[in-house]
Amino acid sequence: MISIKNLSKTFNKNIHAVKNVDLEIAEGEVVVIVGPSGSGKSTVLRCINRLEVPTEGSIAIDGVELTDPECDIDSIRAEVGMVFQQFNLFPHLTVMENICLAQRKVRGRSKSEANEMAMKQLTRVGIPDKADSYPRQLSGGQQQRVAIARSLAMEPKIMLFDEPTSALDPEMVKEVLDVMLELASEGMTMAVVTHEMGFAKAAGDRLVFMDEGMVVEIGPPSQVFENPNEQRTKNFFDKILY
Amino acid sequence: MSAHEEGNKRSLSDKPKWWDTFPWWGIAIVAILSWMGYQIVTNNSYELAWDRVIPGISITVTATLQAFAIALALGLLAGMGQLSKNVILRNLARTYVEFIRGIPILPLIFTVALVLIPQLQNALGFKLSFQMRATVTLAFIYGAYMAEIFRGGIQSIAIGQVEAGRSLGLSRRQTMNSIVLPQAMRAIIPPLGNDFIAILKDTSLLSVLGVLEITQRARQFSASTFKFREGYFVLAFIYLILTLGLSLLLGVLERRMTRDDRDVRSNRGID
Repeated sequence: MISIKNLSKTFNKNIHAVKNVDLEIAEGEVVVIVGPSGSGKSTVLRCINRLEVPTEGSIAIDGVELTDPECDIDSIRAEVGMVFQQFNLFPHLTVMENICLAQRKVRGRSKSEANEMAMKQLTRVGIPDKADSYPRQLSGGQQQRVAIARSLAMEPKIMLFDEPTSALDPEMVKEVLDVMLELASEGMTMAVVTHEMGFAKAAGDRLVFMDEGMVVEIGPPSQVFENPNEQRTKNFFDKILY
Repeated sequence: MSAHEEGNKRSLSDKPKWWDTFPWWGIAIVAILSWMGYQIVTNNSYELAWDRVIPGISITVTATLQAFAIALALGLLAGMGQLSKNVILRNLARTYVEFIRGIPILPLIFTVALVLIPQLQNALGFKLSFQMRATVTLAFIYGAYMAEIFRGGIQSIAIGQVEAGRSLGLSRRQTMNSIVLPQAMRAIIPPLGNDFIAILKDTSLLSVLGVLEITQRARQFSASTFKFREGYFVLAFIYLILTLGLSLLLGVLERRMTRDDRDVRSNRGID
């Protein structure tokens, strides 16, 4: 479904954030990307919906080449949901309006269709009673769940999660991970950058370990955790697993 | 308050005294205006000046509104232009803003109204009154100032907002119109209000082209009657009434537009 070939991204001509990354993500697969900060994992994720333009290499989603300047990036992005570390809800709109905006403008849904879909997704993430609240009135965990609902309302084929729990207070991490876990079990194709190793074990089909812009190791989460092939992977897990 | 604190004359308190927060300035201004109004009503020479100056108010107000409206459009265009992806648009906008901002208003009015517009008139075959020429010049000047206000307001919106909009499939324009601009308005409205008042005051510069707005009328009255004190006293009174009224009005609008601004700011602190 997602095919990344020889992806490189260079910032300011000499900062090599991502170097020659190859990665295939199949339909229904949950790929978890981990690695130390600055290892390029977020950059890879952001290249998948072209928030970063790759310096080299190619990314295809469902066979459509993203790096082709002729491609209609807006319609591709509508199929690729993205959840950010900082939630990025629209503070001037209510929860309902946040979820309906793109449905109406991009999907062309009527107000009642969009509202119905919004309520469906809000129920799914467990906060249908917050429809008329403003983002500032919600806790971090609730805001992130609204952000997930906002993406899901577009009925995307793929969901990207860029450190979705890193900005949350500890007691709110679980409510967001629960939503993501349920989404994974429903067969959503997901690419998740996270430091939550518990989630990687529970939901991940494959674990990608990145360091210094390169993919060091790919494999089933339990194998990469417990029996890594590379010394660098082992060093990383030794440092973070308590 | 405990006995210990009472004994301390300079005790810290988060509750200011009523005379510390009372709007004394409002009383002062109302008193001054009342006194000025009283002079005009009761004193014959002041009344004479008032009668000569006040007919110019329609020109002052019209020129203010026209200049503000045109400047608003120009400012939005040039402000967005500076943020455009198009290299030509971006540089055109930047040139306009830098050029205008670097020259004082008075020489610009002379240059545009007496040199530039007459040449354009000859070339294109239209005719503008002096009042219109000066109004257009004011609009061009304030358009450049407003361009910076719009640019700053738009740039104050966190990049994550744009990324969220674009990643949902919204186009650049849709993201700008539905997400960025509505939020930027909070930052844009107060300084735009300041410019509105500044334009009102700067319409006094129309007098250098002989346009019969209130300043020119006060000059003529004073020069012909030698009642300088009366003429300019009345003129100042009219400007004060206009600007203070306008700033009261804008204050109400501003409060309405930014009612929940503080909440939003604190929420956005993490962005």
